[in-house]
Amino acid sequence: MVHPKQAASSQRKRQPLPVLPIFFVLTWLWAAWYYGSVFHISREYSFWVPDTRIMEFILSQSYGILRYIGRAMLQLYRFPWLGGLFMALMLTAGSWLTGYCMRLRPSWRSVQYLPALFYIAVVTWHGLDIFFEARTGLIFGIPFAALVVLCIWGMMIKSFSRKPVPTLIGIPMDETPRQNGIQFAVIAICLAAIIGFDMWQRPYVRVICRLLDMEYRQDWNGIQKLARANAKMSNRPMACAYAIALVQTGQIGERLYDIRLDYDSLHIHGMDGAHNNASCLYVPEGNYYGGFIESSLHASMEQMVMTGPTIRLLKLMTKCALMREEWELADKYLTMLRRVPFEGAFCKKYGAMLRHTDKINSDPEMARIRLTEPIHDSFESQYQQPLFMGYNLMLIEGRSKEALVNSLSVCLYTKLMPQFVERLEPLVGTTPPSIIMDGIMIAENKNPGISQHFSGMNFRQPQLQTFLQNIQPYMKDRPGHAYELFPKYKGYYPYYYFFGNLKATKKGYTTLSSSSSGVN
Amino acid sequence: MRYTLYIYIIAATMLLSGCKPKAKLPSQYAEAGMEVNIYPDYKDVVVPPNIAPLNFIVRDSVGTEYVAHFKGKEAELVAAASAGGVVKLDTTQWRALLVSSKGSDVSVDIYAKHPDGWVRFKPYAISVAEEPIDAFLSYRLIEPGYELYRQLGIYQRNLTTFDEVPIYENNREYSDGENHCVNCHNYRMGDTESMVFHVRANHGGTIVVQDGKAHKVQLKDSTIITSGVYPSWHPTENLVAFSTNKTGQAFHLYHAEKIEVMDESSDLLLYDVTKNEVSHIIRTTSDLETFPCWAPDGRTLYYCSANRSRLLDSSLPDSLAGQQLLLKYDSIRYNLMSLSFDPKTRSFGKPQMVVDAVSEGKSISVPRVSPDGRFILYTQGDYGQFHIWHKTSDLWVKDLQTDSCYALTEANSPDVDSFHSWSSNGRWFVFSSRRMDSNYTRPFIAYFDKQGHAHKAFVLPQEDPEWNILLLKSYNVPELSRNAVSISERDLHQCIYDTEGENATYKTNPTAIVNLDGMTGASPKKPVDGTSGASPKKPE
Repeated sequence: MVHPKQAASSQRKRQPLPVLPIFFVLTWLWAAWYYGSVFHISREYSFWVPDTRIMEFILSQSYGILRYIGRAMLQLYRFPWLGGLFMALMLTAGSWLTGYCMRLRPSWRSVQYLPALFYIAVVTWHGLDIFFEARTGLIFGIPFAALVVLCIWGMMIKSFSRKPVPTLIGIPMDETPRQNGIQFAVIAICLAAIIGFDMWQRPYVRVICRLLDMEYRQDWNGIQKLARANAKMSNRPMACAYAIALVQTGQIGERLYDIRLDYDSLHIHGMDGAHNNASCLYVPEGNYYGGFIESSLHASMEQMVMTGPTIRLLKLMTKCALMREEWELADKYLTMLRRVPFEGAFCKKYGAMLRHTDKINSDPEMARIRLTEPIHDSFESQYQQPLFMGYNLMLIEGRSKEALVNSLSVCLYTKLMPQFVERLEPLVGTTPPSIIMDGIMIAENKNPGISQHFSGMNFRQPQLQTFLQNIQPYMKDRPGHAYELFPKYKGYYPYYYFFGNLKATKKGYTTLSSSSSGVN
Repeated sequence: MRYTLYIYIIAATMLLSGCKPKAKLPSQYAEAGMEVNIYPDYKDVVVPPNIAPLNFIVRDSVGTEYVAHFKGKEAELVAAASAGGVVKLDTTQWRALLVSSKGSDVSVDIYAKHPDGWVRFKPYAISVAEEPIDAFLSYRLIEPGYELYRQLGIYQRNLTTFDEVPIYENNREYSDGENHCVNCHNYRMGDTESMVFHVRANHGGTIVVQDGKAHKVQLKDSTIITSGVYPSWHPTENLVAFSTNKTGQAFHLYHAEKIEVMDESSDLLLYDVTKNEVSHIIRTTSDLETFPCWAPDGRTLYYCSANRSRLLDSSLPDSLAGQQLLLKYDSIRYNLMSLSFDPKTRSFGKPQMVVDAVSEGKSISVPRVSPDGRFILYTQGDYGQFHIWHKTSDLWVKDLQTDSCYALTEANSPDVDSFHSWSSNGRWFVFSSRRMDSNYTRPFIAYFDKQGHAHKAFVLPQEDPEWNILLLKSYNVPELSRNAVSISERDLHQCIYDTEGENATYKTNPTAIVNLDGMTGASPKKPVDGTSGASPKKPE
């Protein structure tokens, strides 16, 4: 005999939960909150306007219309919550239709979530590749195509069969608690596994995307905070964004070595399917913020040739054209951007600068860049690549102290001490930034007495001596101990000099691979 | 069902008619007292009677409606635009207007509806020439300059309409094994029955089209620097003169011009299409010869030549020549030269100086002789040969009757004006200019009158005038032709993809100039005879 209260309680316990709506909420959280920054940057590295003439470069490719529609949908990720909502709706609707079209019995209903979960897994697996080199039309294009197929399939079933349509937002009454629980378990385990994989194998993806977004928003403090929070993670896009933030805030000589600069391999591939050095993600910006406007325009144009226009490239090229006072060119790029949904704010801000040099020169970002522009013309091919590094290694004459500090910082980064020492003279009698002081102390070894020409150096010598004593046990295997020593000596240039970036600096500063193409 | 369809049609008609304002002249208006700002600038230009409608945009920030009134001798045309100001002209009415106005002016009144009523801007005129322009213009569409290429093609535009068709497009999707570039298309005297262009990288070779058939050849030999580059069809013989160039480019860091393209070495070749034989016309190490161009009678070959040995340190190895020249890029200057040619014996004469630009501190490229043989149209800039990136480049002509050289000031702009092509009647020429935004070349059309003067140039008309802004590619190598290219894109694709290309046989030309000082035509060991290029070199 069961007590009535116990029976009621048991009934409440057996009440199935609305798995589909919960799945919707979970995918929305994933698509907007967890992975939203990645999709948001994917939109920036994409381009879509309604005009099919302009989109011919996409439409003329295989599945062009699908890529076109996919890119259109991706525009919603201007606001990650909105894009995430749309993606969650698509994935949820797709799951629901999968269940209906496959006539899944309640005991097999967990299968209906697998295609959507598989999609999430594939996106996570690809990481940066989902937007790298602008293959962005497939992000929404593939689920959209699947949804269309399922809709047609479902309509056919509905037309020829009396099979009841399963509930979409209500409680599935035909499921037992066990069946209900299995569905939950499948979803939870799969999502946990995917997120676990992302955190374990692709931890840099969301960080890089957030940094790129902050870079666009000129959130220099945010970049520094995020980069330092992930200081052990090391990759070139992150290092470049961090260095840009330091340059923009005048701290390149103080804080560069707060993050590890050893550059782990990234899972990123070019159009040819080969592993890529991800230079597309930082060279145009690195040149721009380094004061090399023409080279930034050059690098951007090369990318645009290969991938077609992207919102990010067009924005950067607009700023470059404004800096060069090429008004018609800037207006051309702005005209393109005005046709892209949600880009009104950018167009308004930079449109106001057209034919107004004073507004350009008073913009904080651009004014800072002006300080480091070259004084004389030369050719890119005379320098090692990337240019914002190579040029600064050979800087002879700069237009500001900032340009000199950039140059000294690059010399220290590349560990080319003779070039560093050659450029110190303008700082004689001053107190240099701390990293440069540490560099001077290291240069003291081959240039005895050099530190005497600068003030504020007093405590640097004992600090360096202590450091050199402490690292003696590790000097036989520097690559092997670099990682474990980093937390202890984070931010200290001598650590970087002896243990950092050994692969690149062992053979001198290496160039990036360049194209073997001809004259167009 | 039928009623629903009717409703849709009626609704669509209403919607469309609502979008486009009525083309009706305002009955009351005030004089604006100022010139109208239109894009592109079609004010006070001379146009051919067969040109497509000159659609334009009225750039007026306060207008909400516009009306354009074109008034000719016997016909008129009224067109309207909404707030966007895009005026699209009716093709039939436009054609009737131009045909009836041949040899006279068409006056244009633009009215704008401002908040306080209609205003009329100062009128302007369009002169309609008697002579038509060749109906077809082919060009390559490619991003401006730079090193890489992806999607590109050679296209053909019908100038009497807005129709554009691809002659050939490369692979649309990236593929390591398929990526290729096409360039340097050229026709025999504006007749597309004989066509040549190059394919670079994968599937590379020179594509020769004749009698509707395409075949691929490889113009390679150990004595040839690279392969054929800039071509020129002989007017009567089945010959093509090519330059062969080792070209490089460098990117400026802080300069008004973005790119410098230079030849490290270059020579001239003659390709016999019938025999599939290639030989040297000029092969020198001391000079750079490029941009060959036949005179219409086929008895003179014009080309550009620069002395490079004066810029090189002879103590340094030749492998450093490119770097040495790069550092002296603004000292490389080309003269306009010529060689006589006997079509019967296929022999060349001695180099002759045609225009000594170097002594004036200038440099010449891309000579093109007018169909009547009287004028040589060329590009002149301060230095170098790739004037398409030089802001100082302007169009010049040499009148061979009067021996005078002068700039085509009316057609030129402060920006780049370069690569040009004559219409077969010699009254029009098309050229590339970066005047619109300093970066993306657009084809401009200019009238060349009987006195040898050019008139204000106008940009190739587009159905949507804003397309000049929206297109992110340059119009490269615009070539006029009387007829359309007849070979299909499919046939070209088949030739390019499915054939390796036959190797041309290298043959020594007894009259070739080898190892001579190409600027003077002199042997290094012998004194020269002024600028006439005496002291012919013994054949190799």
